[in-house]
Amino acid sequence: MAYHKAVETIPLEKREELSDKLMDAILVSKNEDKMPILLANTILYHWQRGLLAGGASLAALLEAAVLLEPDRTMEILEVELQLTNTAKTVNEVLMKAEK
Amino acid sequence: MIRVIGMVRFGIEFVPREAYWKTIYYAIQAEKRGFNYLWITDHFNNRNVYVTLTAAAIYTNKITFGPGVTNPYLVNPVITAQTIASLNETAPGRVVLGVGAGDKTTLDCAGVEMRSPLTAVQECIEIFRRMTSGESVVFQGEVFKIAGAKFLFKPRGKIPVYVGAQGPKMLAMAGKIGDGVLINACHPKDITYAVDCVKKGVSEAGKKLTDVDVAAYTSFSVHENLKKATKAAVPVVSFIVAGSPSVVLERHGIDLKAAEEIREALKASQWGQAFGLVSPEMIEAFSVCGTPDMCIERITQLLKSGISQFVVGSPIGPNVREAINLIGEKIIHHFKP
Repeated sequence: MAYHKAVETIPLEKREELSDKLMDAILVSKNEDKMPILLANTILYHWQRGLLAGGASLAALLEAAVLLEPDRTMEILEVELQLTNTAKTVNEVLMKAEK
Repeated sequence: MIRVIGMVRFGIEFVPREAYWKTIYYAIQAEKRGFNYLWITDHFNNRNVYVTLTAAAIYTNKITFGPGVTNPYLVNPVITAQTIASLNETAPGRVVLGVGAGDKTTLDCAGVEMRSPLTAVQECIEIFRRMTSGESVVFQGEVFKIAGAKFLFKPRGKIPVYVGAQGPKMLAMAGKIGDGVLINACHPKDITYAVDCVKKGVSEAGKKLTDVDVAAYTSFSVHENLKKATKAAVPVVSFIVAGSPSVVLERHGIDLKAAEEIREALKASQWGQAFGLVSPEMIEAFSVCGTPDMCIERITQLLKSGISQFVVGSPIGPNVREAINLIGEKIIHHFKP
């Protein structure tokens, strides 16, 4: 649920590109063992139905990307797509999780 | 560029080396991009082929899929028949069996002898077909003896059998009894030779070549940048060169000494040295590699050599996801506008 709040900060016109970039980061990641199976199945479910840029899917993609490739995820959000608010919300989720 | 009109099918091969969700992501993507066939390799040291195929059955809707290829040594034909028939219930009419003699190196690792490969594959297909047609099978073969095996469920329909073949006898047998043949080759010279062998079996069975789906199972790498495509192909080509018999290397004018040096370097795990020895001639002979236009040209040549299915195999491209998109947009679209 925490990542749904982050998704709300993503403008509609950037969702497709973000979805592609996060998916790429996840697919090339060497940390595949960190992927929770429920999350993997959620992503596949949305991908099969062509809904990978939808809200629920983006939340799952963000969560997976942060787990597998945290640095790359922040680079995508802050530098490549300049989604500063989204990056800030994701950071807040991460800090909460660390506590 | 001339368009080849015909029933060309596109297949894609994945080695389930990575987590299942990555393979399945690519399988869904391949289906969306217009591929007709999904082939999953079967080696005991990777993820299990049937677990991967079951996930593919759930997450895809129209692509045809099967093991590419299993062998009769590690899995008894009765169990292969049971697995494929069960899989065909999860995706009716979308399942095929790919079977060949197997890879000797992998079988050696498992301590399994590759005994009478031609007979073993032939018997396996017969047992498979009889089992999946619902028969009670009593079989006294050279390799397999079945005392009386019958499913307690009703199998759904006929399942096509593709034979993975390399040598002339296996190729002819594939033409004779197979619904399809999977040929591990990338170059028109090798495909022409293989198709001639398949034709012998086809005519022996009183069939036409068009009755058999002839597939080129290729090592493939595509990128808009030729250098990047080639770099991705080099490791795979080095292993193919190392595993190729002299007769095949000579057919392509490849220096046998260079091939031996690659073999030695790979044995010693000196990857950099082995990859550095791969020449442009080796890339040309043992891969379909380059920009989309270059790949289209090669596929066109292979179609003229007699194939009806083109299978995109490892590495696919420097970035698999981007490569599948590129193949769909530029290559499949060229042949099926």
